[in-house]
Amino acid sequence: MSVVVDNACTQIWEALDGGATVTSLRVSPAVYEAVAAARSKEVARHYPLMLLGLPLVADHAVPTYDPVVA
Amino acid sequence: MLTPEENEVLCRVGPGTPMGKVLRRYWTPAFQLGDLPEPDCPPIKVTILGENFVAFRDTEGRLGFLDELCCHRGASLTLGRVEACGIRCLYHGWKYAVDGTIMETPNLATTTFRERVKHGAYPVHEAGGLGWVYLGPPGTAPAFPNFAWANAPASEFSVSEIIMDCNWMQAQEGSIDSSHVGILHLDTLATMGSGPRSVGSFDFAGEPWDLDMQVPGGARRMPGEAPRPGVWPSEDNAPRIELETTPFGFHYAAIRDADEPGKKFVRITAFVLPYTAIIGGTNGGVIVVPRDDYSCSTIGVFRLPPGTDRSVAEERARRGIDPAVWGPEPENRRLRLPKQDREAMAAGKSFAGFRGGNRVQDGAVQTSAGRMYDRAKEHLVPADLAIIRLRRLFADSIRLIESGHDPVGIGVDYDSTQVTAVSTIIDADQDWRDLVPSHQGSREAAR
Repeated sequence: MSVVVDNACTQIWEALDGGATVTSLRVSPAVYEAVAAARSKEVARHYPLMLLGLPLVADHAVPTYDPVVA
Repeated sequence: MLTPEENEVLCRVGPGTPMGKVLRRYWTPAFQLGDLPEPDCPPIKVTILGENFVAFRDTEGRLGFLDELCCHRGASLTLGRVEACGIRCLYHGWKYAVDGTIMETPNLATTTFRERVKHGAYPVHEAGGLGWVYLGPPGTAPAFPNFAWANAPASEFSVSEIIMDCNWMQAQEGSIDSSHVGILHLDTLATMGSGPRSVGSFDFAGEPWDLDMQVPGGARRMPGEAPRPGVWPSEDNAPRIELETTPFGFHYAAIRDADEPGKKFVRITAFVLPYTAIIGGTNGGVIVVPRDDYSCSTIGVFRLPPGTDRSVAEERARRGIDPAVWGPEPENRRLRLPKQDREAMAAGKSFAGFRGGNRVQDGAVQTSAGRMYDRAKEHLVPADLAIIRLRRLFADSIRLIESGHDPVGIGVDYDSTQVTAVSTIIDADQDWRDLVPSHQGSREAAR
């Protein structure tokens, strides 16, 4: 997870640096499930899963260690 | 965030743990040289990385760092007699040299045992007012990183150690967390001379409240005195973080819009794996060392102006901190949180309500997360990039060790004497990297 979060954070700063607006973070289903498992209380409360301030979207096309900021 | 399993791996440091194996491959600051001031002085007990040791200075002034318990029947050598170039166990008189040689075994007349066996002993290096030890496999010790601030005599350093009852990563992550400085430490900034500031919708009057606290540089603003421009030249509480990996770890800049148009306020911190943050705006650094999984030492090491009396420096380190909360004496180094002044907070006189300055304020929030914080519960934001990168480098190091390689920062070539930090205002279009040209070469080497 430390690699995923680091790559995502770096992408967010690059996007912000380029003047882009970031609205979501696409991650592999495995990462999505790992976050959901770690945040079971939030899932139980029906909160959206979020990472680095962005809502997570599971995407089979996204490699495990390379999340995509959208 | 980390999964609970990853959090355990990151936080636990005992022998045989993944992080324990990583940390044992670096030189580790273990004790204050001031605690072993002269030959044959009393020994001290040292707990680091979940293990107990005895440190002593022998008759010839050499430092010894040995496993704490006598290898005969397990009595603590911290009770022992330091004499005639060794330390002698009180129980049966076994005596050890600084290199672990068993010199005498009074209740064992034959010499075969002591000729074939040595007591656990570890290399020690004196630098920056601290005794650094290497606890890794024999023959793997890297060259000692000779930071510029570490080469002066111990008498030229102010070393202050606070022991905190929480996992070391809570303190370590705080040392590279720039976005809290203009918030948690508002009381410090006010005493340094800054004026009114805002935290979200809360307007802080910015009048000095804790007049006794230690402030960088020593100059403090008194009540009624006008704010001083430039003390904390930014109202921006959401700094942009730019970070680069370097051979020694990483350096990063917290960049804030400066109050002055066309300018930006940058604080550059160099983080030297795995313990040391060299922080912009200071003349030293903060070193965080795990004692065990649930306690750590945060050690401030600051270079003194030439001619400064060490006792003066020690007095300065404790300035404004109630001795009931903390003191520099060995038996008084464990932080006991002061009562939070809720009246001063409610009246808008204090933001945080903790007297004693930054390190007490830091200690309050870092220990408040519990003995070992579960990072599955956290919600990091992009401003936490340095913390995120630190965890990644440790995760990388664990993988490297498991595959038979050196951890990050070991076996790489860089000029440790040139690692530095900066806090200043620059033109908005200037690159902060220009302020630390000494890191340029190391950055190239890291690629």
